[in-house]
Amino acid sequence: MTQRGRNLLLLAPAGAWFLVMLVIPLAVVIIFSFGERGPAGGYVPAFTLEQYANLPARWAAFKNTLMLAPAGTLASLLIAYPLAYYLAVRADPRWKTVLLVLVIVPFWTSILIRSYAWIFLLGGRGIPALLDLIGIDNVRLINTPFAVLIGIVYGYLPLMVFPIFVNLDRLDKRLLEASADLGASPWRTFLQVTLPMSLPGIATGCLLVFILLMGEFLIPAILGGGKVFFVGNALVDLFLQSRNWAFGSAVAATLVLLMLVSVTAYMRLIRRLGAQREDVALM
Amino acid sequence: MTKDKDYISKRAFMEELDRYRRGSVTRRHFLGVTGLGTATAVLAASVPALRPRRSWAQGNIGDRVVLATWPNYHDPANFEAFTAATGAAVDMNVFGSNEEMLAKLQAGGSGWDVFVPTNYTITTYVGESLIEPLDLARIPNYDAAAFDPRFAGPGTVDGTVYAVPKNWGTTGFAVNTANLGGLPKPTTWKEFWDITRDAFSGRTMVHDYQLTTIGNALKYFGYSFNSVDTAELAEAEKLLLDAKPHLFAINSDYQPSMRSGDAWMTICWTGDGKQMNRDMPEIEYVLGKEGGELWSDFYAIPKGAPHLDAAYALIDFLLDPAVNAKESLFHGYPTPDKRVDALMPAEVLNDPILYPAAELLDALEFGAAVTLTDPNRAELMARFKSA
Amino acid sequence: MSEAAYAPPSAEPAAHPIAEFRGVSKRFGEVLAADDLNLSIRTGEFLSFLGPSGCGKTTALRMLAGFESPTSGEVFLDGEVVNDLAPYRRPVNMVFQHYALFPHLTVAQNIGYGLRQRRPKPPRDEIARKVRAALEIVRLEGFENRRIWEMSGGQQQRVALARAIVNEPKLLLLDEPMAALDRKLRKEMQIELQNIQRRLGITFILVTHDQEEALSMSDRICIMRDGRIVQTGTPRELYDQPRNRYVAGFVGTSNFFDGVVERADAYRARVTLGCGIALEGRVLAPVAAGQAVSVSVRPEQIRLARTATGGETGWEVTILNRIFLGEHTEYLVKHDGLGEFMVLTPRQAELSDGPFNAGERLTASWEATSALVLDNDQAPQAN
Repeated sequence: MTQRGRNLLLLAPAGAWFLVMLVIPLAVVIIFSFGERGPAGGYVPAFTLEQYANLPARWAAFKNTLMLAPAGTLASLLIAYPLAYYLAVRADPRWKTVLLVLVIVPFWTSILIRSYAWIFLLGGRGIPALLDLIGIDNVRLINTPFAVLIGIVYGYLPLMVFPIFVNLDRLDKRLLEASADLGASPWRTFLQVTLPMSLPGIATGCLLVFILLMGEFLIPAILGGGKVFFVGNALVDLFLQSRNWAFGSAVAATLVLLMLVSVTAYMRLIRRLGAQREDVALM
Repeated sequence: MTKDKDYISKRAFMEELDRYRRGSVTRRHFLGVTGLGTATAVLAASVPALRPRRSWAQGNIGDRVVLATWPNYHDPANFEAFTAATGAAVDMNVFGSNEEMLAKLQAGGSGWDVFVPTNYTITTYVGESLIEPLDLARIPNYDAAAFDPRFAGPGTVDGTVYAVPKNWGTTGFAVNTANLGGLPKPTTWKEFWDITRDAFSGRTMVHDYQLTTIGNALKYFGYSFNSVDTAELAEAEKLLLDAKPHLFAINSDYQPSMRSGDAWMTICWTGDGKQMNRDMPEIEYVLGKEGGELWSDFYAIPKGAPHLDAAYALIDFLLDPAVNAKESLFHGYPTPDKRVDALMPAEVLNDPILYPAAELLDALEFGAAVTLTDPNRAELMARFKSA
Repeated sequence: MSEAAYAPPSAEPAAHPIAEFRGVSKRFGEVLAADDLNLSIRTGEFLSFLGPSGCGKTTALRMLAGFESPTSGEVFLDGEVVNDLAPYRRPVNMVFQHYALFPHLTVAQNIGYGLRQRRPKPPRDEIARKVRAALEIVRLEGFENRRIWEMSGGQQQRVALARAIVNEPKLLLLDEPMAALDRKLRKEMQIELQNIQRRLGITFILVTHDQEEALSMSDRICIMRDGRIVQTGTPRELYDQPRNRYVAGFVGTSNFFDGVVERADAYRARVTLGCGIALEGRVLAPVAAGQAVSVSVRPEQIRLARTATGGETGWEVTILNRIFLGEHTEYLVKHDGLGEFMVLTPRQAELSDGPFNAGERLTASWEATSALVLDNDQAPQAN
């Protein structure tokens, strides 16, 4: 077999997967988005921009998503970074593996079950009851945007921790010694060496979490009590309740477009921040 | 699932599973909301090695039958008996909403032999030619005379029987009377919405389902549960938006919050109302005096069912009064079959939640197909949820 | 017997110590990495820690840099005890073994890194000027905006050096700085390092396992073994007056003939070898009769001749092997009693009598003063 043939063979499974699971569904979504809703729901072929003209009807969902996705990403980052830093730099190497496994352990349980656990933790007999004991009463946590944020951070933390951990773990500790040797205090060493060197991990983690958050629907439904409405929730309703596939497709296509735009802008920003950072990737 | 191939471990597994599912997950919309319905595991006999290989000599109906139904809606022991008697194993697909079932059938290639549509969807299935007219001769256990015509009626469209009744129920509300303080127990939808915006602020749940949530908001004004009238819907919307800040949640899985005490009142289906009342008597089930929803589920056969013989055999088997009584005792929903009632214990028949008083029942309406598919109601719901 | 008394007074430069170890030990769990180190480092000198890996030389260096603090004893810098002073507060800079250059910064940013940490922060143009001057010293003018990974190993080494010297440290520490360079480049850098050290007058402390590097660059060498200092002295002192067999073997090469002291006084000893032959030798550190010792004779101090010369004991040897080294020729010879040993003959000496051929029978001889009677206990001894 020629080299070219072998290369094609190597790419074939991924290519087929990509075609069947991504390209074709996306094409279907785009075609549907120009169609119309059938009288009993579903899709009727047509060519109209009506669905896109209706998009403002889901403005609130887009607004919520575009606010909570970056906020959730940022909150995850702020919590994940110190954790990843501890695991990579400070943790006793003998315990490192155990601690890492502990970070993944929640993944062994379905996010659905775990989110249900949070219903009770955040519910009246959970954390608010504890707060009540120390004199802070009438705290309402469950079914608030804050609860959704907690759920998001909880659910996506490992996705943020791991890329940053890998990055920090590979960071040459001698660079930190060199920085100290050259007169930089630990904090300045962190700002001038550790942080810039871990940018690729931060970028990867943020990208993963952000993309998933843009399509999130489960956590707002469960911990937001259905009162926090994301594009993902709008899509579930449009496809599974009102079965307005044409409009649902237009909303989905718009969401995909928004993701493309924001991810592209994000990548540009990261590239500029870490201009010519091939070295880090190589290390 | 277990690798152990013996029959006992399979049953042990099913019992475990049912214990888990009986916990708190509500019958319908929860799976719809989570989108997990389509992903839910195929249950019985999903491991080929567990499936009995023998097939019945007389009237061979094949070795399997595929049933699309709701969670926690069948007694597994009955399926085992069916398999033992016929050699056909029951593959059960569990769904979260009628819409999801409809979507799956519309998409084609469902592979189902029997499914369980709710009254208001049957005309749609007929209109879309997705449902097989039933040959009643092949369902000898279906005795039309024994069934309450109120519940059996929606199964017949233009004189043709497409579906036979399974169970029925109502949609009212559950209220935790311990939280009422000095207030009298609410008995109307008007009181439901008024208390929500006052004494129960932050404690009420409504379904994440436009049919019941909008329908019962319409009842506040005395309009039809099924109204698609623009002016009437506008009034309902105003009420819903006004009530939204006072709601605990918009979620059809209300049992956990009601049981934990976080929520004090919720729109509620019969079975959930019964289960909560059984465990916590202070949670009472109320049918609003103005009316509300009455529903009925059916057995039907989709067009192109791959195991037609097995489909008829399964429906007939499940309509056997003795089997049906076991089903009803298992999941708690009444059947409209007098022969089954005769087999039920008196305390069940006298239960006001399961068998409400006639005057309350008379005020209730079946949901209509147009109500379900009305785009204006869908958009109203979206505005309500995202407000 | 103290080390100071052992080194001849003439070798002491007239300068006060910039750094000092006083009874310093460092323990890592079960391992004693540094064991009772005592050493004064003089201002402006070029001192090397020499020893095999694991001898404690890097630990000593890291205690000066502040990356490790001693378990006991005191480390002085410029007259102050600095046992627990953080690295970034020390007027000390280090050139790391693999350079540890910051890959996310340019060459100029790397070199200016230390200056930028100063408070108050020097003006931008002053930093730029100093960076340029440092680049000039390491002969990398014009490389300011290069990226680290665009530089060769030798260039990276120079950047690392510039990054350290630009801070004008009181002490420059070099941790095996040449280990990653090829032989030719290493030679060049050794000369360059020496020149830079002389020009700047900064005290350099080098850690190396390469005796040639230590010998060629250092003012003084501190030989370490198993966490202890075995001997400190100028290269010449170590070569000519090794304290024991270990030092003699580590600094240069030598032939050792093992035996037992038959009789000794303060200057000379007579040693009986296993084969029964007795050798005379000079005594540097007192030995007693009956002590196990080695008689050390450097290969270049042995002469080969076709006929025996008068006044010296001659040994009848057979040439087993000859290696031509240009300026010198190295012979492996064998004597029936003494066994095999090495002889290094300068080209000059061969003009009249040589070259000799393998298999030839010759007479090997050395001056009695060239033979040193050394303690042959390989373990380091207490000071």
